[in-house]
Amino acid sequence: MSAELEAPKYWENYILDIGESVTQFWAQHLGTGPRDLLFILGCGFDPRTILGVETLFGLGGQGKREVLAITLDEGATSPSMTHLSAVETNREKLQKLVEGRGVITATSVQMQAEDGRRIGSRNAAGVIKDLLQLQPFSDVILDISALPRAIYCPLIAKILYLLKHAPPDSGCARINLHVLVSEDPALDDAIKEEGISDTASYVYGFGGGLEMESTTDLPKIWIPVLGEKQEEQLKRVYDLVSPNEICPLLPSPSRNPRRGDDLIYEYRELLFERLRVEPSNFVYAAERNPFEVYRHIKRTVAQFRDALKPLGGCKAVISAHSSKLLSLGVLLAAYELKEANGDVGIAHVESQGYTMNPTLPETKSELCGLWLCGECYEP
Amino acid sequence: MREPRNPFRLRSAEDIESDATFLRLFGPGILELLVSDDLWERPKIFRSAPGGGKTSLLRLFTPNVLHTLHAYRTTEECRELHQKMCDLQVLRDQGPVLLGVILSAARNYASLTDLEGDPHRKRRLLFALLNSRIIIAFLRAALALKGATFPNDLTRLTILSPSTQIPMPIPELPCRGTEAYDWAREVEASVCKSLDSFGPDELPSVVGHDSLFSLSLISRESFLFDQEAIAERFLFMFDDVHLLTSLQRDILLNTIVEARRGMTVWISERFEALSPDELLTSGAILGRDYGGVVSLEDYWRERPKRFESVVLNIADRRARAAADIEIGAFDPSLETSLDGMEWQDQFRSALDAIKLRVLTLAQNHTQFTEWVAVTEAIQGTPRERANTWRALEILIQREKRKSQTSFDFPLSSEDLEDKDNSAVNAAAELFLADEFGLPYYFGFSKLASLASSNIEQFLWLAGENFEEVASNALLGRSPRLSPDRQDSIIRRAVKRAWEEIPRRVRKGRDVIYFLEAIGSLAKQETYRPSAPYAAGVTGIAISMADRNRILQANNATGVDLSTLRDVLASALANNLLEPILDYKCKGERWMVLNLNRFLCVHFGLPLQRGGWREQSLLTLCDWLAHGFKPNKKDGVLIS
Repeated sequence: MSAELEAPKYWENYILDIGESVTQFWAQHLGTGPRDLLFILGCGFDPRTILGVETLFGLGGQGKREVLAITLDEGATSPSMTHLSAVETNREKLQKLVEGRGVITATSVQMQAEDGRRIGSRNAAGVIKDLLQLQPFSDVILDISALPRAIYCPLIAKILYLLKHAPPDSGCARINLHVLVSEDPALDDAIKEEGISDTASYVYGFGGGLEMESTTDLPKIWIPVLGEKQEEQLKRVYDLVSPNEICPLLPSPSRNPRRGDDLIYEYRELLFERLRVEPSNFVYAAERNPFEVYRHIKRTVAQFRDALKPLGGCKAVISAHSSKLLSLGVLLAAYELKEANGDVGIAHVESQGYTMNPTLPETKSELCGLWLCGECYEP
Repeated sequence: MREPRNPFRLRSAEDIESDATFLRLFGPGILELLVSDDLWERPKIFRSAPGGGKTSLLRLFTPNVLHTLHAYRTTEECRELHQKMCDLQVLRDQGPVLLGVILSAARNYASLTDLEGDPHRKRRLLFALLNSRIIIAFLRAALALKGATFPNDLTRLTILSPSTQIPMPIPELPCRGTEAYDWAREVEASVCKSLDSFGPDELPSVVGHDSLFSLSLISRESFLFDQEAIAERFLFMFDDVHLLTSLQRDILLNTIVEARRGMTVWISERFEALSPDELLTSGAILGRDYGGVVSLEDYWRERPKRFESVVLNIADRRARAAADIEIGAFDPSLETSLDGMEWQDQFRSALDAIKLRVLTLAQNHTQFTEWVAVTEAIQGTPRERANTWRALEILIQREKRKSQTSFDFPLSSEDLEDKDNSAVNAAAELFLADEFGLPYYFGFSKLASLASSNIEQFLWLAGENFEEVASNALLGRSPRLSPDRQDSIIRRAVKRAWEEIPRRVRKGRDVIYFLEAIGSLAKQETYRPSAPYAAGVTGIAISMADRNRILQANNATGVDLSTLRDVLASALANNLLEPILDYKCKGERWMVLNLNRFLCVHFGLPLQRGGWREQSLLTLCDWLAHGFKPNKKDGVLIS
């Protein structure tokens, strides 16, 4: 077995809470003493915008409370502009929640350059510029419920990078990074992307090595984490990557036991006719466990690298086409592979904006929490 | 790798891994795009909508494909292609004599714009990245052309000092391929690392080049393998240039025009590379500078018969490559006639209904007596007769409209012959299909028309048909598709594509409102009883003066033209509208905007081109805001 396969994984042991246990965890965490919280969230039209902050701030506790609210500037013609009143409602709710308990700072991320180029991904990493911004806090909580992948992936990666590379004497090594996400498949289904980019691109921070001419001969493997209604995105990522091997990751086990089969049925033409995926290449990971996705992706990449060593190894591209929860697994795997000097990319397809079905289903959002770095990972 | 069940699904050149399969599926007719006296002398720009066939064309000139073509030159599938490549002086008896390199702009060039620093630094980094990648790509391609191994045989390559006096940051010239490779790799790695870093920008200020010197450095005289010339001709192909920022693209194009090169340069890009201004001027701005712009769709649009023959060749090659069925040609799988027994009853009842209508219409009008008698005497299949009667109905409607101002003199059979033209017959065929639920979109010619001069669009629609051909064959049924099956397969595929537009296209929601309005207008005009614009209306036109107003976003009309401008640009970039500029008609000049032919299916329109209606800017803006409102007085027929 290769060294890479045997290498320890940072998130081998992890903390993941779903539903009620999120509240229990935070009640206990905040009860251990004063904690200074920086809560970062996307302030958009999504009804889940304030669920996380409402839950946490409702638990009380001592210490500083600051909220960094990110708004996305998608341009005046974005389809999302039709939901301005919902954005305003969420903003007012947020203001009421924080009033008397802390401070709200607003920051805007420009999603599109003047020439129409998507620059949201790079700009998102700039929301947290350096360690100084994190230093005053004991816990940084990033709620990605109302943020798109192009924003939360580079943002989480940047914070992880800053915290994990913090000088030992900076006092930042013990800052905890938590990620919250409100899962609601029915609501996800009601929010639709509009005007998706003609071409896929790599998320900022995860692509440079992939695009090098000097290593263009290396075989490429592509691990798309499959979700529903993403055919166009899958095609565009495929066009970007031109992989030699494709290992689709299916959510299994899942609440709907037939979900994996349904996905195969939905993409049968694309997967087997156009992309000619080998049936033995499918990878399976639990629908609600990003750490399992992380483990499987890492193992798959390591196995391919091992097998392709005589050819110089391989490059790996991962793309998430499913829930935000599973996308986190993609990010963690890519982050760790990048840190180990591996050529790894996260590919995605941005969109011009989002539209929401006006007749929203009754939301049954379930909060999930991941503790990604800090005290609990100390040796 | 096993053969695909439906090879039409392999759309782009990138989908086809093996060079042998690529060559087997490549239709040599496409090479006629390259026939010109100055093919190797001047830079060329290949421009099209996605799927126009640009990357396939470029891939043909790369070393491994050329070697494979040479090896397969005597096979039936490659013979014609080989001959054409010999005619282009790319291959000779001994093998390839051209060193072709493709570099894609679908990399991180655009991200350079987001780095900190002044524009000058970003320009230097762009040149550095391009120079390093061009050199690496040529080193690799040279070894492939000579049958040597990369990177082991890099020592057999030598780069000499070029005759041009351009400062070159390569440490020492002449140098071995290994040294050039190490240098280029380091430059590329340092720029890429900086682009991808979460930490502070650590790129040393010294990284960066003042010029695109690589295009002058590499030439037949200065780039050698075992101290001998590598090829007679060098070709650098820069693909997907639309993915550069507009400033980078301008820098690149200007540099290529100005540079003294040791090689031919081809650029390929999508329409979307063009600014709204350029799109609305159909790329004429750059066209003037280069003289070598090949707009793929425009080229085929002017030669519809040639396009049909090219896609027929492609379709046959794909059909033959299918894994599960043996089929020599695609065309015979598509039935083209409605004269079979299964249609007789439907046409007979249509004939009876139309005949009754015509007789009622002509009743008490002595002017049509002879026309009715002549039509009655015509023999033929029920379909032909139904069509003839439907055409007569159209002609009578026209005469009746006129007769309000003329006398009721009997019309002769000669008058009928004069008026009975192909356009009226085409309109009759369309009306007949619409009224009696008959298939209309079937047969290979219509399939080729539906492609709107775009290869990928053809493969998409042909692939939908082939899917059922293959399934029938697997089930032991006749693989031939009846006209009604073809019609319903096409309609179903088009419906899906239409529904995808808001998601797929920038400003998709507005674009779809706009197309819906054009389609509704076209349908209203096409289906008038007298078919005044036979075979039908499939587009609109704005005067060139109005087009200039949109270009300048001149709101003199009192309406905001910026949204209209963006919507038009998006529709043009995605090939949903096909522009014809400077069309002269009745003493005026027009910009005609035809619907992409697949959209004609959505609106039940004919596939012939020609019919369009003039519209004012006010009307177009009103469509965007409130949708199309039927108005009989709106617009004037021009063509």
